[in-house]
Amino acid sequence: MRFSIYRFDPERDARPYMQDYELALDPHDRMLLDALMRLRAQDDSLAFRKSCREGVCGSDAMNINGRNGLACITRLTELKEPVTLRPLPGFPVIRDLVVDMGTFFDHYHAIRPYLVNDEPPPERERLQSPEERAALDGLYECILCGACTGFCPSWWWNPDRFLGPAALLQAMRFIADSRDRATAERLEFLDDAYRLYRCRTIMNCTEVCPKHLSPSRAIEHIRRKIVSEGL
Amino acid sequence: VASGARAWLLQRLTAVYMLLFLVIVLARFAADAPSSYEAWRSWIGAAGMRIATLLFVAAVLLHAWVGLRDVAMDYVHPPALRIGVLALVAAGLAAAGAWMALILVVL
Repeated sequence: MRFSIYRFDPERDARPYMQDYELALDPHDRMLLDALMRLRAQDDSLAFRKSCREGVCGSDAMNINGRNGLACITRLTELKEPVTLRPLPGFPVIRDLVVDMGTFFDHYHAIRPYLVNDEPPPERERLQSPEERAALDGLYECILCGACTGFCPSWWWNPDRFLGPAALLQAMRFIADSRDRATAERLEFLDDAYRLYRCRTIMNCTEVCPKHLSPSRAIEHIRRKIVSEGL
Repeated sequence: VASGARAWLLQRLTAVYMLLFLVIVLARFAADAPSSYEAWRSWIGAAGMRIATLLFVAAVLLHAWVGLRDVAMDYVHPPALRIGVLALVAAGLAAAGAWMALILVVL
């Protein structure tokens, strides 16, 4: 199988370049990550992140044949050759396919990704009805891989000020939580021309989410909530 | 200079008004187009029609302002350049608005 992979080592290379690889697959190789592991055995200078290798940890998001996705759950049989691999677009490159997620996680922390509730805790736990719990479906499953944010043109233009689809989906996850008491503060923080309203409903985020979530819908719900709460 | 939610809502509300206005005006023209210049003039010159058209112009200008400001926020990053671009846009839209108001009021 033929590969064309983005290479860049800031300590050695003046500029990034694409390197071609030829790889004999093992019959047991199923996913793109299997092939990448084999390539690294061939060339140990090739850098990429991975951990759980089953689409849960969100480490191996990259641009695969022009679309962002997780290498570990992308089937080799579905890829056109040469398989072109690049780092997540819009993120600063540290080396090869490894990107700097610093700004991405700054935005994540900015939406306060935890329950805010100063009421005295009940003896055992804060209960939710099945309906209240169901309101979190489609929001809590995000693994923060960055595939959506790295495919969002609005974020490419304003990565430092627009929070991006992943952080906004997470923001909605806590707005939707019946146990949270900071909805008004959360909405006030998001009612900003940059943080939320750079979104142009391009929907690239929903298109590429490897967990099939819809940040676009979450953003729409936040906007409606801001209007209905009269901010 | 409406910020986040206000600008977003303004753009949607003006869009709804523009759509309604266009559909109604086009339907009127399709059903019964004015046969002469005089007929057209008396139709558009009626007080209700003037106010509706003036509102339509205002909606177009506000809608365009939010949209073009968004374009500038996305692509024009140096502060001085952005202020210049936005000032030009505002001046252009204000001039267009003043001209339309003049036509609709003096008509």
